[in-house]
Amino acid sequence: MKLIYFMEFTPKPDAALLIVGHGSTENPDSSTPYFDHAREVRRRNLFGEVHCCFWKEEPSMREALYMIDAEEVYIVPDFISEGYFTQEVIPRELDLTGPTTKVHGKTIHYCDPVGIHPSMTSLILQRTQEVAPGVPQEESTLFIVGHGTGLNKNSTKSIKDQVEHIKTLPTCHFANVIDTYMEEPPFIADWAKLAETPNVVVVPFFIADGLHSYQDIPMMLGFEKEEGLAASQKDVFRHNPYHLQNKTLYYSAAIGADPMMADVILDQISTFDAQHVAH
Amino acid sequence: MSLTKVLTDALDTGINQIGQLRILRDPIQLHHIDDHDLDSLKVHTDPEDAREIGRYTPEGDYRFTKGELSLPKGWIFHLDSVAELRSTIDLFYPASLGLWHAWKGGEIRVQNLRDKLNRQTGMYRHSRNVSDKGAQELVQSLCGPGNKCVKKILWSVDQELPLDDSEASRFNGIVGDADESNAIAMVCQEACNFFVAQARQKSKEEFEAKEV
Repeated sequence: MKLIYFMEFTPKPDAALLIVGHGSTENPDSSTPYFDHAREVRRRNLFGEVHCCFWKEEPSMREALYMIDAEEVYIVPDFISEGYFTQEVIPRELDLTGPTTKVHGKTIHYCDPVGIHPSMTSLILQRTQEVAPGVPQEESTLFIVGHGTGLNKNSTKSIKDQVEHIKTLPTCHFANVIDTYMEEPPFIADWAKLAETPNVVVVPFFIADGLHSYQDIPMMLGFEKEEGLAASQKDVFRHNPYHLQNKTLYYSAAIGADPMMADVILDQISTFDAQHVAH
Repeated sequence: MSLTKVLTDALDTGINQIGQLRILRDPIQLHHIDDHDLDSLKVHTDPEDAREIGRYTPEGDYRFTKGELSLPKGWIFHLDSVAELRSTIDLFYPASLGLWHAWKGGEIRVQNLRDKLNRQTGMYRHSRNVSDKGAQELVQSLCGPGNKCVKKILWSVDQELPLDDSEASRFNGIVGDADESNAIAMVCQEACNFFVAQARQKSKEEFEAKEV
């Protein structure tokens, strides 16, 4: 069953797309999803140029505009939530003052982060079908897992919003959909108490697979006992289902690793145009 | 003017190197400057392979600063166009062509270290407390070909305080014996965020040393 209907996208051969990611000086795999998303958009020939830039890797946000020919640039934060980075760091680093900013000889459109777009919701549901094919949703609980910090309410807001939205979708038949976190309640570690169904599907709400999705959350779920192989060598997503605490658990890779994230990026741009740009 | 045209013009004047990359024309090829037996190299045709090649050092360490003098050898790109060459270079040395072009044209936006640190927020706000002496030490321990980066540093500590003389502050952004007539210099318009993170750590150490 097709669960996702992305928006029509009008090609922008004279514009550039700049995908902003966090990146890492420690995890070599951290930036891979952003490059994957860029490659997919590039493959479709929708923009004159497609580039990535990062907070922790090169090119930095401060360097990125130098590599772009186009005068019109769409910037999409490949972040899971609104918060410190999307509201403070990215505008500061790129000298942005509003939805559209004319600066450094370019017209820059600053879109919302991918994680808060409604099409992300459909992507989550699609992911659950892929990870737990044929498993009756009526007998399953869906857990969306975020980091949670207690320091920034916005970081959990996008997950709570996604959960509420999923529950309203006619294509969602889960007995329950619950937002959970690594570092604040409701804790994902309490999944077996929170789930009243025999089946459980867990989707980490992160852009990149890394220690959180390879190791930390599996340990909290109970199927990884301790630190083991380097993150990129783990294969935790291919051993589904896990039989734990008298339940059957299906574990997904980070939602940002989905190839259809490119469509969410494009949807975020279409939404920006509908709201801000008169064509 | 597009950067592809900029690169084409540069090649026409005899430019054949950037960082640790050797550029050949007719046909367009790209390989490590220390590789000489070209027939023995693994051939790549997809510019996007450059990211994977440049991701780790030959020892398997993560190269998160792309200007580090640790690019692995053993590969060669056979490319169809200067546009592909540009894309490949941008994955080995992100934004290096554009920064070089802006620098040569006097359009680069240089930010001195104090201004860079003073605009940091969140956990990096404390990086501004690093002393001038600590900042100079960081340049000499992080920047330059002997450390993390082969970019030419364009910034000072602040308007009145230049960088102390060192290999890092003197480096011209060109690897080996090449010069500006045949190499594209890699330039650093402001301290990178790795430097900022280290400045935060340094300021913390300086603070703790005062407490003792």
